[in-house]
Amino acid sequence: MRRSRKVCPVTEAGIRFIDYKDERFLSRFITDTGKILPSRLSGVDARHQRQLAKAIKKARYLALLPYTRSQSAQ
Amino acid sequence: MSREYEAVYIFDAGLEDTAIAEKLEKHHALLGTTAPITLDHWGRRQLAYKIGTKETGYYVVARFHAEAGVLPEFERALKLDDGVIRYLVSVHEHELGAPPMTEEQLAARRAREADDDEDEE
Repeated sequence: MRRSRKVCPVTEAGIRFIDYKDERFLSRFITDTGKILPSRLSGVDARHQRQLAKAIKKARYLALLPYTRSQSAQ
Repeated sequence: MSREYEAVYIFDAGLEDTAIAEKLEKHHALLGTTAPITLDHWGRRQLAYKIGTKETGYYVVARFHAEAGVLPEFERALKLDDGVIRYLVSVHEHELGAPPMTEEQLAARRAREADDDEDEE
């Protein structure tokens, strides 16, 4: 049996454009270790997932988000 | 053709505020624009990871209109500046055809961020 499709959290939040400077928002879409969360887990639709991935990579370059974080440091 | 760009600079947190303002002025002079440049000082904040030996940086976000031809020289100056830990110049992207966010929308966004805080607790 198929589960009903999750609503995309980006659409739901009414975000018009994903801002790479908004690290508080982006941090919802990375794992504890810093990986980008797959859309099958977060329910983000494909268009927003592409925008998210780019934004997260920019934010990482600007040291707003970590590239990686060791779990022991949590 | 002139385009709107957005630049984020991370300055050495050890610099005086006046020195940072001076550097900004010096670099922005290279752009050769007469239009006002929007500056947003985030101030000193923790870096998500160490860059060299530095753990904190002074963040400034600038938005400006410039000709594409002046950017290589502008970026070269930033690269050579020891006071700039890191910088990112990108075309200012916003939803095509959408007007910039109004004060109301910004307020709504802030309210949403406040809500997020409550969720975390």
